Amino acid sequence: MFSMRNLSRVLLTAAFAALATAASAQTVRVNYIPITDVTPLFVAIDKGYFKDEGLTIVPTPSTGGAAGVPGLMAGAFDVMYGNVVSTMLAQQQGFKLEVVSAGTKQFDNPANTNGMVARKGEGIRTGKDLEGKTVAVNTRNGIIWLFARAWIAKSGGDATKVTFKEVPFPQMPDALRGKQIDAAFMVNPFFNASVTDPNTFEFVAAPYREVQPDVEVGHYISTQEYFAKNKETLAKYNRAFRKGVQWYNANLKDPDLIRIISGFTKMQPELVAKLNLQILPEIVNLDSVATTVKLMKDNGLVTSDIDLAAMTAPDALK
Amino acid sequence: MSIAASLTSGELTVKSPVRRKLFGDLARTRLSGAILIALLLLLWEVSAARGWIVSDNWPRFSAVLVAAYRGLLSGELAEILGSTLYRMLAGYAAGCILGVLFGLVLGSNRVLDWIIRPLIEIQRTLPSPAIIPPLILFLGVDDTLKIFIIMLAVFPPVFVNTYGGVRGLDETLLLTAKTFGLSRFDTLRKIVLPATLPAMTAGMRIALSLALIMAVIGEMISGASGVGNYLMSMQYAMRADSMYAAVICLAASGYILNRVFLRLERAALHWHHSMQAE
Repeated sequence: MFSMRNLSRVLLTAAFAALATAASAQTVRVNYIPITDVTPLFVAIDKGYFKDEGLTIVPTPSTGGAAGVPGLMAGAFDVMYGNVVSTMLAQQQGFKLEVVSAGTKQFDNPANTNGMVARKGEGIRTGKDLEGKTVAVNTRNGIIWLFARAWIAKSGGDATKVTFKEVPFPQMPDALRGKQIDAAFMVNPFFNASVTDPNTFEFVAAPYREVQPDVEVGHYISTQEYFAKNKETLAKYNRAFRKGVQWYNANLKDPDLIRIISGFTKMQPELVAKLNLQILPEIVNLDSVATTVKLMKDNGLVTSDIDLAAMTAPDALK
Repeated sequence: MSIAASLTSGELTVKSPVRRKLFGDLARTRLSGAILIALLLLLWEVSAARGWIVSDNWPRFSAVLVAAYRGLLSGELAEILGSTLYRMLAGYAAGCILGVLFGLVLGSNRVLDWIIRPLIEIQRTLPSPAIIPPLILFLGVDDTLKIFIIMLAVFPPVFVNTYGGVRGLDETLLLTAKTFGLSRFDTLRKIVLPATLPAMTAGMRIALSLALIMAVIGEMISGASGVGNYLMSMQYAMRADSMYAAVICLAASGYILNRVFLRLERAALHWHHSMQAE
Protein backbone atom coordinates (compact mmCIF):
# COMPACT_ATOMS: atom_id res chain seq x y z
CA MET A 1 0.00 0.00 0.00
CA PHE A 2 2.73 2.36 1.03
CA SER A 3 4.62 1.68 -2.19
CA MET A 4 1.53 2.35 -4.33
CA ARG A 5 1.14 5.77 -2.75
CA ASN A 6 4.80 6.37 -3.36
CA LEU A 7 4.47 5.50 -7.04
CA SER A 8 1.51 7.80 -7.58
CA ARG A 9 3.41 10.57 -5.85
CA VAL A 10 6.32 10.12 -8.22
CA LEU A 11 3.97 10.19 -11.21
CA LEU A 12 2.19 13.30 -9.94
CA THR A 13 5.47 15.09 -9.34
CA ALA A 14 6.53 14.22 -12.86
CA ALA A 15 3.26 15.54 -14.30
CA PHE A 16 3.52 18.81 -12.39
CA ALA A 17 7.11 19.28 -13.46
CA ALA A 18 5.99 18.97 -17.07
CA LEU A 19 3.23 21.53 -16.57
CA ALA A 20 5.58 23.93 -14.81
CA THR A 21 7.62 24.27 -18.00
CA ALA A 22 4.67 25.93 -19.80
CA ALA A 23 5.43 29.26 -21.44
CA SER A 24 5.50 32.74 -20.00
CA ALA A 25 4.62 35.60 -22.36
CA GLN A 26 7.88 37.41 -22.97
CA THR A 27 10.23 34.47 -22.99
CA VAL A 28 10.36 32.45 -26.19
CA ARG A 29 11.99 29.03 -25.97
CA VAL A 30 13.42 28.07 -29.33
CA ASN A 31 14.57 24.56 -30.22
CA TYR A 32 17.20 24.34 -32.94
CA ILE A 33 19.61 21.98 -34.65
CA PRO A 34 23.20 23.24 -34.31
CA ILE A 35 23.76 23.80 -38.05
CA THR A 36 24.63 27.01 -39.89
CA ASP A 37 21.02 27.32 -41.19
CA VAL A 38 19.88 28.68 -37.85
CA THR A 39 22.60 31.34 -37.64
CA PRO A 40 20.17 34.34 -37.92
CA LEU A 41 18.61 33.29 -34.62
CA PHE A 42 21.98 33.62 -32.92
CA VAL A 43 22.81 36.82 -34.79
CA ALA A 44 19.57 38.33 -33.47
CA ILE A 45 20.40 37.18 -29.94
CA ASP A 46 24.00 38.37 -30.17
CA LYS A 47 23.11 41.78 -31.64
CA GLY A 48 20.38 42.35 -29.05
CA TYR A 49 17.50 42.49 -31.60
CA PHE A 50 15.27 40.32 -29.42
CA LYS A 51 16.19 42.35 -26.35
CA ASP A 52 15.18 45.55 -28.18
CA GLU A 53 11.72 44.02 -28.60
CA GLY A 54 11.59 43.10 -24.93
CA LEU A 55 11.98 39.38 -25.59
CA THR A 56 14.17 36.84 -23.87
CA ILE A 57 15.14 33.89 -26.05
CA VAL A 58 15.98 30.55 -24.48
CA PRO A 59 17.63 28.47 -27.20
CA THR A 60 17.77 24.70 -26.67
CA PRO A 61 19.68 22.51 -29.09
CA SER A 62 18.41 19.18 -30.29
CA THR A 63 20.84 16.93 -32.05
CA GLY A 64 19.06 13.63 -31.75
CA GLY A 65 15.93 14.71 -33.57
CA ALA A 66 13.42 12.70 -31.54
CA ALA A 67 12.67 15.70 -29.37
CA GLY A 68 11.35 17.83 -32.27
CA VAL A 69 7.58 17.95 -32.74
CA PRO A 70 6.68 15.87 -29.62
CA GLY A 71 8.66 18.37 -27.55
CA LEU A 72 6.78 21.25 -29.19
CA MET A 73 3.42 19.59 -28.55
CA ALA A 74 4.42 18.88 -24.94
CA GLY A 75 5.22 22.57 -24.46
CA ALA A 76 8.90 21.93 -23.79
CA PHE A 77 9.63 24.80 -26.18
CA ASP A 78 7.57 27.39 -28.08
CA VAL A 79 9.21 27.61 -31.49
CA MET A 80 11.38 25.09 -33.28
CA TYR A 81 13.43 24.89 -36.43
CA GLY A 82 12.37 21.97 -38.58
CA ASN A 83 12.43 20.77 -42.16
CA VAL A 84 9.42 21.18 -44.41
CA VAL A 85 8.87 17.44 -44.90
CA SER A 86 8.78 16.67 -41.16
CA THR A 87 6.37 19.55 -40.58
CA MET A 88 3.97 18.40 -43.30
CA LEU A 89 4.12 14.80 -42.09
CA ALA A 90 3.28 15.92 -38.56
CA GLN A 91 0.54 18.20 -39.86
CA GLN A 92 -1.03 15.33 -41.74
CA GLN A 93 -0.87 13.17 -38.62
CA GLY A 94 -3.03 15.73 -36.85
CA PHE A 95 -0.49 17.83 -34.97
CA LYS A 96 -1.72 21.38 -35.48
CA LEU A 97 1.36 23.36 -36.47
CA GLU A 98 1.89 26.92 -37.64
CA VAL A 99 4.82 28.10 -39.77
CA VAL A 100 5.97 31.28 -38.03
CA SER A 101 9.00 32.30 -40.08
CA ALA A 102 11.21 31.34 -42.99
CA GLY A 103 14.30 29.22 -42.35
CA THR A 104 16.44 27.83 -45.14
CA LYS A 105 16.18 28.09 -48.89
CA GLN A 106 18.48 26.84 -51.64
CA PHE A 107 18.96 30.01 -53.67
CA ASP A 108 20.52 29.72 -57.09
CA ASN A 109 24.19 29.93 -56.26
CA PRO A 110 27.26 28.28 -57.76
CA ALA A 111 28.60 27.13 -54.39
CA ASN A 112 27.17 23.89 -53.04
CA THR A 113 26.71 23.36 -49.33
CA ASN A 114 25.16 19.92 -49.60
CA GLY A 115 24.79 17.14 -52.12
CA MET A 116 25.28 13.58 -53.24
CA VAL A 117 28.83 12.33 -52.72
CA ALA A 118 30.37 9.07 -53.96
CA ARG A 119 33.77 7.38 -53.84
CA LYS A 120 36.28 8.64 -56.34
CA GLY A 121 36.60 6.87 -59.64
CA GLU A 122 33.52 4.64 -59.45
CA GLY A 123 31.79 6.53 -62.22
CA ILE A 124 28.60 7.43 -60.37
CA ARG A 125 27.08 10.42 -62.19
CA THR A 126 23.31 9.85 -62.34
CA GLY A 127 20.47 8.14 -60.57
CA LYS A 128 20.68 5.37 -63.16
CA ASP A 129 24.22 4.58 -61.94
CA LEU A 130 22.86 4.10 -58.41
CA GLU A 131 20.41 1.32 -59.30
CA GLY A 132 21.29 -1.79 -57.31
CA LYS A 133 23.50 0.30 -55.03
CA THR A 134 23.14 1.70 -51.51
CA VAL A 135 22.58 5.37 -50.72
CA ALA A 136 22.86 6.87 -47.23
CA VAL A 137 20.31 9.36 -45.95
CA ASN A 138 20.05 10.73 -42.40
CA THR A 139 16.49 9.50 -41.85
CA ARG A 140 13.95 7.61 -43.90
CA ASN A 141 10.89 9.64 -44.90
CA GLY A 142 12.79 12.86 -44.25
CA ILE A 143 13.56 15.69 -46.62
CA ILE A 144 17.00 14.31 -47.52
CA TRP A 145 15.47 10.93 -48.38
CA LEU A 146 12.70 12.57 -50.44
CA PHE A 147 15.08 14.64 -52.55
CA ALA A 148 17.54 11.78 -52.95
CA ARG A 149 14.70 9.69 -54.40
CA ALA A 150 13.40 12.52 -56.55
CA TRP A 151 16.88 13.24 -57.92
CA ILE A 152 17.44 9.55 -58.75
CA ALA A 153 14.15 9.53 -60.68
CA LYS A 154 14.93 12.82 -62.40
CA SER A 155 18.34 11.66 -63.56
CA GLY A 156 17.01 8.50 -65.17
CA GLY A 157 17.08 6.01 -62.31
CA ASP A 158 14.44 3.94 -60.55
CA ALA A 159 14.43 4.84 -56.84
CA THR A 160 12.76 1.55 -55.94
CA LYS A 161 15.89 -0.25 -57.17
CA VAL A 162 18.10 1.73 -54.78
CA THR A 163 18.64 0.63 -51.19
CA PHE A 164 18.41 3.49 -48.72
CA LYS A 165 20.33 3.17 -45.49
CA GLU A 166 19.97 5.44 -42.48
CA VAL A 167 23.38 6.82 -41.52
CA PRO A 168 23.85 9.87 -39.26
CA PHE A 169 25.56 12.77 -41.08
CA PRO A 170 28.80 12.59 -39.04
CA GLN A 171 29.30 8.93 -40.00
CA MET A 172 28.53 9.27 -43.72
CA PRO A 173 32.15 9.88 -44.86
CA ASP A 174 33.34 6.84 -42.88
CA ALA A 175 30.55 4.63 -44.22
CA LEU A 176 31.50 5.70 -47.75
CA ARG A 177 35.18 5.04 -47.11
CA GLY A 178 34.38 1.66 -45.60
CA LYS A 179 32.24 0.76 -48.65
CA GLN A 180 29.14 0.13 -46.55
CA ILE A 181 27.37 2.56 -48.88
CA ASP A 182 27.98 3.73 -52.45
CA ALA A 183 26.78 7.31 -52.18
CA ALA A 184 25.56 9.67 -49.46
CA PHE A 185 23.45 12.81 -49.40
CA MET A 186 25.62 14.94 -47.14
CA VAL A 187 25.25 18.36 -45.55
CA ASN A 188 27.86 20.70 -44.11
CA PRO A 189 30.35 20.52 -42.51
CA PHE A 190 30.66 16.88 -43.63
CA PHE A 191 29.85 17.66 -47.26
CA ASN A 192 32.59 20.25 -47.40
CA ALA A 193 35.11 18.01 -45.64
CA SER A 194 34.38 15.23 -48.16
CA VAL A 195 34.42 17.16 -51.43
CA THR A 196 37.67 18.88 -50.41
CA ASP A 197 39.26 15.42 -50.22
CA PRO A 198 39.35 14.70 -53.98
CA ASN A 199 41.61 11.66 -53.62
CA THR A 200 38.86 9.79 -51.80
CA PHE A 201 35.51 11.31 -52.68
CA GLU A 202 33.79 13.05 -55.54
CA PHE A 203 30.79 15.28 -55.82
CA VAL A 204 27.93 13.74 -57.83
CA ALA A 205 25.01 16.17 -57.82
CA ALA A 206 23.04 18.74 -55.84
CA PRO A 207 19.62 17.06 -55.51
CA TYR A 208 17.83 20.02 -53.93
CA ARG A 209 18.80 22.37 -56.73
CA GLU A 210 18.31 19.89 -59.56
CA VAL A 211 14.92 18.66 -58.40
CA GLN A 212 13.40 21.92 -57.23
CA PRO A 213 15.27 25.21 -57.75
CA ASP A 214 14.72 27.63 -54.83
CA VAL A 215 13.38 24.85 -52.62
CA GLU A 216 12.55 25.88 -49.05
CA VAL A 217 14.23 23.27 -46.90
CA GLY A 218 13.54 24.44 -43.38
CA HIS A 219 11.42 26.86 -41.41
CA TYR A 220 10.39 27.76 -37.88
CA ILE A 221 7.16 26.40 -36.48
CA SER A 222 5.04 26.63 -33.35
CA THR A 223 1.79 24.95 -32.39
CA GLN A 224 -1.36 26.67 -33.68
CA GLU A 225 -2.44 27.02 -30.07
CA TYR A 226 0.72 28.91 -29.12
CA PHE A 227 0.42 31.03 -32.26
CA ALA A 228 -3.20 31.99 -31.48
CA LYS A 229 -2.41 32.94 -27.88
CA ASN A 230 0.86 34.78 -28.48
CA LYS A 231 0.36 36.77 -31.67
CA GLU A 232 1.91 39.91 -30.20
CA THR A 233 4.95 38.08 -28.89
CA LEU A 234 5.43 36.31 -32.19
CA ALA A 235 5.13 39.59 -34.12
CA LYS A 236 7.97 40.97 -32.01
CA TYR A 237 9.86 37.74 -32.45
CA ASN A 238 9.51 37.94 -36.21
CA ARG A 239 10.71 41.55 -36.41
CA ALA A 240 13.82 40.75 -34.41
CA PHE A 241 14.49 37.49 -36.21
CA ARG A 242 14.20 39.17 -39.61
CA LYS A 243 16.77 41.78 -38.58
CA GLY A 244 19.01 38.81 -37.77
CA VAL A 245 18.50 37.37 -41.27
CA GLN A 246 19.25 40.76 -42.85
CA TRP A 247 22.44 41.22 -40.84
CA TYR A 248 23.51 37.66 -41.67
CA ASN A 249 22.90 38.10 -45.42
CA ALA A 250 24.82 41.37 -45.45
CA ASN A 251 27.79 40.06 -43.49
CA LEU A 252 28.51 36.55 -44.81
CA LYS A 253 32.27 37.17 -44.73
CA ASP A 254 32.37 39.04 -41.44
CA PRO A 255 34.73 37.60 -38.78
CA ASP A 256 32.04 38.42 -36.24
CA LEU A 257 29.76 35.94 -38.00
CA ILE A 258 32.39 33.22 -37.66
CA ARG A 259 32.54 33.91 -33.93
CA ILE A 260 28.74 33.62 -33.64
CA ILE A 261 28.55 30.39 -35.65
CA SER A 262 31.46 28.86 -33.80
CA GLY A 263 29.69 29.74 -30.56
CA PHE A 264 26.52 27.77 -31.10
CA THR A 265 27.75 24.97 -33.39
CA LYS A 266 30.93 24.43 -31.29
CA MET A 267 32.82 24.15 -34.59
CA GLN A 268 36.37 25.48 -34.54
CA PRO A 269 36.51 28.94 -36.21
CA GLU A 270 38.96 27.61 -38.84
CA LEU A 271 36.35 25.05 -39.91
CA VAL A 272 33.56 27.64 -40.05
CA ALA A 273 35.72 29.87 -42.25
CA LYS A 274 35.90 27.07 -44.84
CA LEU A 275 32.15 26.71 -45.24
CA ASN A 276 30.43 28.40 -48.18
CA LEU A 277 27.74 30.22 -46.26
CA GLN A 278 24.64 30.92 -48.33
CA ILE A 279 22.12 33.70 -47.94
CA LEU A 280 18.90 32.82 -46.13
CA PRO A 281 15.29 33.83 -46.91
CA GLU A 282 13.31 36.51 -45.10
CA ILE A 283 9.91 35.26 -46.18
CA VAL A 284 8.15 31.98 -46.87
CA ASN A 285 7.17 31.32 -50.49
CA LEU A 286 4.02 29.20 -50.42
CA ASP A 287 4.32 28.17 -54.08
CA SER A 288 7.70 26.66 -53.36
CA VAL A 289 6.34 24.80 -50.32
CA ALA A 290 3.41 23.57 -52.43
CA THR A 291 5.84 22.11 -54.98
CA THR A 292 7.58 20.18 -52.21
CA VAL A 293 4.25 18.94 -50.84
CA LYS A 294 3.39 17.69 -54.33
CA LEU A 295 6.71 15.86 -54.40
CA MET A 296 5.81 14.28 -51.06
CA LYS A 297 2.52 13.16 -52.54
CA ASP A 298 4.23 11.64 -55.58
CA ASN A 299 6.44 9.63 -53.22
CA GLY A 300 3.57 8.51 -51.01
CA LEU A 301 4.52 10.57 -47.98
CA VAL A 302 1.26 12.52 -47.80
CA THR A 303 -2.13 11.41 -49.03
CA SER A 304 -4.48 14.29 -48.27
CA ASP A 305 -4.29 17.96 -49.25
CA ILE A 306 -2.72 20.36 -46.81
CA ASP A 307 -4.00 23.94 -46.55
CA LEU A 308 -0.64 25.72 -46.56
CA ALA A 309 -2.02 29.27 -46.36
CA ALA A 310 -4.06 28.38 -43.29
CA MET A 311 -1.01 27.06 -41.45
CA THR A 312 1.39 29.90 -42.26
CA ALA A 313 1.54 33.06 -40.19
CA PRO A 314 0.76 36.18 -42.32
CA ASP A 315 3.91 37.83 -40.90
CA ALA A 316 6.03 35.10 -42.45
CA LEU A 317 4.71 35.82 -45.94
CA LYS A 318 5.46 39.53 -46.32
CA MET B 1 53.73 -15.22 -5.68
CA SER B 2 56.12 -17.51 -3.85
CA ILE B 3 54.88 -20.50 -5.85
CA ALA B 4 55.40 -18.61 -9.10
CA ALA B 5 58.89 -17.62 -8.09
CA SER B 6 59.88 -21.13 -7.09
CA LEU B 7 58.51 -22.53 -10.35
CA THR B 8 60.24 -20.07 -12.66
CA SER B 9 63.59 -20.25 -10.94
CA GLY B 10 63.44 -24.00 -10.52
CA GLU B 11 64.22 -26.84 -12.89
CA LEU B 12 61.23 -26.07 -15.19
CA THR B 13 62.94 -23.01 -16.70
CA VAL B 14 65.10 -23.77 -19.66
CA LYS B 15 65.58 -20.58 -21.64
CA SER B 16 65.91 -16.92 -20.56
CA PRO B 17 64.77 -17.35 -16.98
CA VAL B 18 64.98 -13.63 -16.29
CA ARG B 19 62.55 -12.65 -19.00
CA ARG B 20 60.16 -15.46 -18.17
CA LYS B 21 60.25 -14.39 -14.55
CA LEU B 22 59.57 -10.76 -15.37
CA PHE B 23 56.56 -11.45 -17.58
CA GLY B 24 55.33 -14.23 -15.35
CA ASP B 25 55.34 -11.98 -12.34
CA LEU B 26 53.71 -9.10 -14.21
CA ALA B 27 50.94 -11.29 -15.57
CA ARG B 28 50.13 -12.37 -12.05
CA THR B 29 49.67 -8.86 -10.72
CA ARG B 30 46.86 -6.30 -11.01
CA LEU B 31 49.20 -4.32 -13.24
CA SER B 32 48.59 -6.70 -16.16
CA GLY B 33 45.15 -5.13 -16.72
CA ALA B 34 46.65 -1.67 -16.91
CA ILE B 35 49.29 -2.91 -19.35
CA LEU B 36 46.65 -4.27 -21.72
CA ILE B 37 44.82 -0.93 -21.68
CA ALA B 38 48.07 0.96 -22.28
CA LEU B 39 48.92 -1.30 -25.24
CA LEU B 40 45.50 -0.75 -26.81
CA LEU B 41 45.82 3.02 -26.40
CA LEU B 42 49.27 2.86 -27.98
CA LEU B 43 47.78 0.93 -30.90
CA TRP B 44 45.14 3.67 -31.21
CA GLU B 45 47.83 6.38 -31.31
CA VAL B 46 49.95 4.56 -33.87
CA SER B 47 47.00 3.61 -36.10
CA ALA B 48 45.94 7.25 -36.37
CA ALA B 49 49.45 8.69 -36.62
CA ARG B 50 50.57 6.21 -39.29
CA GLY B 51 47.35 6.56 -41.27
CA TRP B 52 46.30 2.90 -40.86
CA ILE B 53 42.85 4.25 -40.13
CA VAL B 54 41.88 7.44 -41.96
CA SER B 55 38.81 9.22 -40.65
CA ASP B 56 37.79 12.50 -39.11
CA ASN B 57 36.26 10.35 -36.39
CA TRP B 58 39.61 8.72 -35.52
CA PRO B 59 41.91 11.35 -34.01
CA ARG B 60 45.24 10.47 -32.41
CA PHE B 61 44.95 9.46 -28.77
CA SER B 62 47.43 12.19 -27.89
CA ALA B 63 45.03 14.74 -29.42
CA VAL B 64 42.27 13.33 -27.23
CA LEU B 65 44.47 13.75 -24.17
CA VAL B 66 45.15 17.37 -25.12
CA ALA B 67 41.41 17.96 -25.59
CA ALA B 68 40.70 16.32 -22.23
CA TYR B 69 43.34 18.47 -20.54
CA ARG B 70 41.89 21.63 -22.08
CA GLY B 71 38.33 20.62 -21.26
CA LEU B 72 39.20 19.84 -17.65
CA LEU B 73 41.22 23.02 -17.27
CA SER B 74 38.41 25.24 -18.57
CA GLY B 75 35.88 23.47 -16.37
CA GLU B 76 33.75 22.58 -19.41
CA LEU B 77 34.10 18.81 -18.97
CA ALA B 78 33.49 18.99 -15.24
CA GLU B 79 30.26 20.90 -15.81
CA ILE B 80 29.08 18.41 -18.44
CA LEU B 81 29.95 15.40 -16.30
CA GLY B 82 28.36 17.03 -13.28
CA SER B 83 25.00 17.48 -14.97
CA THR B 84 25.02 13.89 -16.24
CA LEU B 85 26.01 12.47 -12.86
CA TYR B 86 23.39 14.55 -11.06
CA ARG B 87 20.59 13.14 -13.23
CA MET B 88 22.06 9.68 -13.08
CA LEU B 89 22.23 9.64 -9.28
CA ALA B 90 18.72 11.10 -8.94
CA GLY B 91 17.25 8.45 -11.27
CA TYR B 92 19.37 5.77 -9.65
CA ALA B 93 18.19 6.66 -6.17
CA ALA B 94 14.55 6.75 -7.26
CA GLY B 95 14.86 3.42 -9.10
CA CYS B 96 16.63 1.73 -6.16
CA ILE B 97 14.07 2.94 -3.63
CA LEU B 98 11.14 1.81 -5.77
CA GLY B 99 12.84 -1.47 -6.65
CA VAL B 100 13.50 -2.32 -3.00
CA LEU B 101 9.99 -1.26 -1.91
CA PHE B 102 8.22 -3.26 -4.59
CA GLY B 103 10.57 -6.20 -4.10
CA LEU B 104 9.89 -6.33 -0.36
CA VAL B 105 6.14 -5.81 -0.66
CA LEU B 106 5.48 -8.14 -3.58
CA GLY B 107 7.91 -10.71 -2.20
CA SER B 108 5.93 -10.98 0.99
CA ASN B 109 2.35 -10.29 -0.10
CA ARG B 110 0.85 -12.82 -2.48
CA VAL B 111 -2.25 -10.81 -3.49
CA LEU B 112 -0.31 -7.67 -4.38
CA ASP B 113 2.21 -9.87 -6.14
CA TRP B 114 -0.50 -11.27 -8.41
CA ILE B 115 -1.93 -7.83 -9.14
CA ILE B 116 1.23 -5.86 -9.81
CA ARG B 117 3.91 -8.25 -11.03
CA PRO B 118 2.50 -8.86 -14.53
CA LEU B 119 2.70 -5.09 -15.14
CA ILE B 120 6.29 -5.01 -13.92
CA GLU B 121 7.22 -8.04 -16.01
CA ILE B 122 5.94 -6.26 -19.12
CA GLN B 123 7.59 -2.96 -18.25
CA ARG B 124 10.97 -4.53 -17.80
CA THR B 125 11.02 -5.96 -21.30
CA LEU B 126 10.47 -2.52 -22.86
CA PRO B 127 13.69 -1.01 -24.19
CA SER B 128 13.87 2.48 -22.71
CA PRO B 129 14.97 4.28 -25.93
CA ALA B 130 11.79 3.00 -27.59
CA ILE B 131 9.51 4.69 -25.11
CA ILE B 132 11.29 8.04 -25.03
CA PRO B 133 9.28 9.72 -27.84
CA PRO B 134 5.87 9.11 -26.22
CA LEU B 135 7.30 10.00 -22.81
CA ILE B 136 8.37 13.39 -24.18
CA LEU B 137 4.68 14.20 -24.62
CA PHE B 138 4.09 13.79 -20.89
CA LEU B 139 7.38 14.71 -19.32
CA GLY B 140 8.90 17.27 -21.68
CA VAL B 141 12.55 17.08 -22.68
CA ASP B 142 14.24 18.24 -19.52
CA ASP B 143 15.50 16.61 -16.35
CA THR B 144 12.15 15.04 -15.44
CA LEU B 145 12.18 12.89 -18.57
CA LYS B 146 15.78 11.80 -18.16
CA ILE B 147 15.52 11.03 -14.47
CA PHE B 148 12.36 9.06 -15.20
CA ILE B 149 13.93 6.86 -17.89
CA ILE B 150 16.96 6.23 -15.70
CA MET B 151 14.58 5.19 -12.94
CA LEU B 152 12.81 2.84 -15.35
CA ALA B 153 16.10 1.18 -16.23
CA VAL B 154 17.33 0.91 -12.64
CA PHE B 155 14.08 -0.47 -11.22
CA PRO B 156 14.03 -3.98 -12.81
CA PRO B 157 17.38 -5.39 -11.62
CA VAL B 158 16.89 -3.99 -8.12
CA PHE B 159 13.32 -5.25 -7.98
CA VAL B 160 14.08 -8.72 -9.34
CA ASN B 161 16.97 -9.27 -6.95
CA THR B 162 15.14 -7.96 -3.90
CA TYR B 163 12.05 -9.96 -4.78
CA GLY B 164 14.14 -13.08 -5.29
CA GLY B 165 15.92 -12.44 -2.02
CA VAL B 166 12.66 -12.20 -0.10
CA ARG B 167 11.25 -15.26 -1.82
CA GLY B 168 14.37 -17.29 -1.15
CA LEU B 169 14.36 -16.44 2.55
CA ASP B 170 15.03 -19.38 4.83
CA GLU B 171 11.67 -20.46 6.27
CA THR B 172 13.37 -21.33 9.55
CA LEU B 173 14.38 -17.72 10.03
CA LEU B 174 10.80 -16.53 9.68
CA LEU B 175 9.50 -19.27 11.96
CA THR B 176 12.12 -18.36 14.53
CA ALA B 177 11.00 -14.73 14.35
CA LYS B 178 7.44 -15.86 14.90
CA THR B 179 8.47 -18.00 17.87
CA PHE B 180 10.18 -15.02 19.44
CA GLY B 181 7.01 -12.97 18.90
CA LEU B 182 8.61 -10.34 16.65
CA SER B 183 6.26 -7.77 15.16
CA ARG B 184 5.96 -7.51 11.36
CA PHE B 185 8.11 -4.40 11.36
CA ASP B 186 10.78 -5.98 13.54
CA THR B 187 10.76 -9.11 11.37
CA LEU B 188 11.34 -6.90 8.37
CA ARG B 189 14.06 -4.88 10.03
CA LYS B 190 15.87 -7.67 11.85
CA ILE B 191 15.36 -10.68 9.57
CA VAL B 192 14.16 -9.86 6.06
CA LEU B 193 16.28 -6.80 5.31
CA PRO B 194 19.63 -8.19 6.49
CA ALA B 195 19.00 -11.52 4.77
CA THR B 196 18.06 -9.94 1.44
CA LEU B 197 20.72 -7.22 1.54
CA PRO B 198 23.31 -9.21 -0.44
CA ALA B 199 20.79 -9.85 -3.24
CA MET B 200 19.64 -6.23 -3.16
CA THR B 201 23.13 -4.82 -3.47
CA ALA B 202 23.90 -7.24 -6.31
CA GLY B 203 20.93 -5.78 -8.20
CA MET B 204 22.00 -2.25 -7.35
CA ARG B 205 25.49 -2.90 -8.68
CA ILE B 206 24.11 -4.08 -12.04
CA ALA B 207 21.80 -1.07 -12.10
CA LEU B 208 24.66 1.34 -11.50
CA SER B 209 26.13 0.94 -14.97
CA LEU B 210 22.63 0.84 -16.50
CA ALA B 211 21.89 4.20 -14.91
CA LEU B 212 24.98 5.76 -16.45
CA ILE B 213 24.15 4.32 -19.87
CA MET B 214 20.56 5.56 -19.74
CA ALA B 215 21.64 9.01 -18.57
CA VAL B 216 23.83 9.36 -21.66
CA ILE B 217 21.25 7.88 -24.05
CA GLY B 218 18.57 10.24 -22.73
CA GLU B 219 20.85 13.22 -23.29
CA MET B 220 21.72 12.06 -26.79
CA ILE B 221 18.05 12.01 -27.76
CA SER B 222 16.99 15.25 -26.19
CA GLY B 223 18.27 18.12 -24.19
CA ALA B 224 20.90 20.75 -23.93
CA SER B 225 23.37 19.50 -21.35
CA GLY B 226 25.36 16.54 -20.18
CA VAL B 227 27.76 14.07 -21.74
CA GLY B 228 25.25 12.60 -24.23
CA ASN B 229 24.41 15.99 -25.69
CA TYR B 230 28.11 16.89 -25.76
CA LEU B 231 28.96 13.69 -27.68
CA MET B 232 26.36 14.55 -30.31
CA SER B 233 27.31 18.19 -30.68
CA MET B 234 31.01 17.38 -30.90
CA GLN B 235 30.28 14.89 -33.69
CA TYR B 236 28.33 17.51 -35.62
CA ALA B 237 31.07 20.06 -35.00
CA MET B 238 33.70 17.58 -36.30
CA ARG B 239 35.56 17.67 -33.01
CA ALA B 240 36.17 13.97 -32.47
CA ASP B 241 39.05 14.63 -30.05
CA SER B 242 36.75 16.50 -27.66
CA MET B 243 34.15 13.77 -28.05
CA TYR B 244 36.57 11.03 -27.00
CA ALA B 245 37.83 13.23 -24.18
CA ALA B 246 34.29 13.24 -22.79
CA VAL B 247 34.01 9.47 -23.32
CA ILE B 248 37.22 8.90 -21.35
CA CYS B 249 36.04 11.11 -18.50
CA LEU B 250 32.74 9.25 -18.50
CA ALA B 251 34.53 5.89 -18.35
CA ALA B 252 36.68 7.17 -15.50
CA SER B 253 33.66 8.33 -13.51
CA GLY B 254 31.91 5.02 -14.15
CA TYR B 255 34.97 3.20 -12.82
CA ILE B 256 35.18 5.43 -9.76
CA LEU B 257 31.46 5.04 -9.04
CA ASN B 258 31.82 1.27 -9.20
CA ARG B 259 34.79 1.35 -6.81
CA VAL B 260 32.88 3.56 -4.38
CA PHE B 261 29.93 1.19 -4.60
CA LEU B 262 32.11 -1.85 -3.88
CA ARG B 263 33.62 -0.07 -0.89
CA LEU B 264 30.17 0.76 0.49
CA GLU B 265 28.90 -2.73 -0.23
CA ARG B 266 31.81 -4.27 1.61
CA ALA B 267 31.23 -1.99 4.58
CA ALA B 268 27.51 -2.82 4.69
CA LEU B 269 27.98 -6.56 4.23
CA HIS B 270 31.19 -7.14 6.15
CA TRP B 271 29.40 -9.73 8.27
CA HIS B 272 28.12 -11.67 5.30
CA HIS B 273 29.91 -14.96 4.71
CA SER B 274 29.98 -14.57 0.93
CA MET B 275 32.25 -11.57 1.44
CA GLN B 276 34.75 -13.63 3.36
CA ALA B 277 34.96 -16.14 0.56
CA GLU B 278 36.27 -13.49 -1.80
